[in-house]
Order: sequence, then structure tokens, then C-alpha cells
Amino acid sequence: MMKTRIKELRARYDLTQEDLAKKVGVRRETILFIEKGKYNPSLKLAHDIAEVLKTTIDELFIFE
Amino acid sequence: MKDKLEIILGIGIAVAVLVTLYFYLANAGDIELNEIFPIGITLILVLSAVYILWDRIKNVNRGLPAQDERLKLINYKACSYGFIACIWSAVGAPLLSGILFDYEIPGNYVTAIVVLFGGLAFIISFLILAWKGE
Repeated sequence: MMKTRIKELRARYDLTQEDLAKKVGVRRETILFIEKGKYNPSLKLAHDIAEVLKTTIDELFIFE
Repeated sequence: MKDKLEIILGIGIAVAVLVTLYFYLANAGDIELNEIFPIGITLILVLSAVYILWDRIKNVNRGLPAQDERLKLINYKACSYGFIACIWSAVGAPLLSGILFDYEIPGNYVTAIVVLFGGLAFIISFLILAWKGE
């Protein structure tokens, strides 16, 4: 099971799902499903999201 | 630009199918019960395609991509389900028709069944996967 801190970090930088989606070049639903743990992003997308949220992939995704 | 071109092409194909269907229905006279089934499947396919196009237009207008890595993955999965449905309907339709109705389906009917069932399996699995998120 994968959990993410995307929602928490989005709130910190005052970003909506749509804002983040635009910055990393994906659809809003993709961000939604990643946040819900229903979609495992590619390494590149995970890297891009981590870069936008000024963190690392390790800190962004928590595997249980 | 590529996204917009794909959307315009998709709309063109959907309109062409609907116009063809309209002319067929207008000139068919009395429609038999066995014709309703393929017409229904064709309508479901076109309406689902229009929904997918509308969804893409909505995203492009918002400045988001029409397609991304998740949607591409869903596309591949739905294609494989559609392919499996094609194979099974090509094998199953003549077999079931022979066993259940003692009737040998002509080759063009089998082709139509394969195309319609393959398309239906693709579109249903695409929509379910897109909705489910995987």
C-alpha cells in the first residue's frame, strides 16, 4: 500500500490539484488518483511532483 | 496542436458514423429485431467516444493535456481487453450459433460481431479503468 504526502504539501504551497497537474503536465484526475493511492506514477512523474513540492521522492511517497 | 488535431479527427469520425447510421435507418424501412442489437452497440460506441472527446476538450481548454501517462496506460489495458474480446467473439459466435440455433453465421456477420464486441469491450473497459483510477 502506498501513501503520499502530496495533499499535505499542496496545502503548504497553496496549490490546488489542477495547479499541480498543470505544473507537472498531467490531468487533474491523475493527481487525484495518486493522492488516493489508486495510481502508481512513473519515476519521472514522481520526480516532477517532488520537484514542484520542493521535496524528495522518498519523503513524498510512503510504502507500507 | 497534436491534441487538437486528434480531437478534430475524432469529432469528424463520430459525425461520419452518426450520418451513416442516420442514412441507414432512414432507408432501411422496417427494422428487424436482429438489426436493433448492432445499431444499439454502434450508438453506445459513438456516444462513449463523444464523451471521451468532450472530456479531452474540457482538459485542453483548461490548459491541461488531453492525454497523460495514466490515460495511455488505461488505453493499452483497454486495447488488450478489446483484442481478447475480438478473439473470443470470432471463435465463440459461430460456435454458439451452431450449437444453440443450428445456424451457420455468414463470414460478414462474424466480422461485424468481432468489430462490435471488440469495440464494446474496449470502450467499457476504458471507461471503467478511467473511473476506477488504475
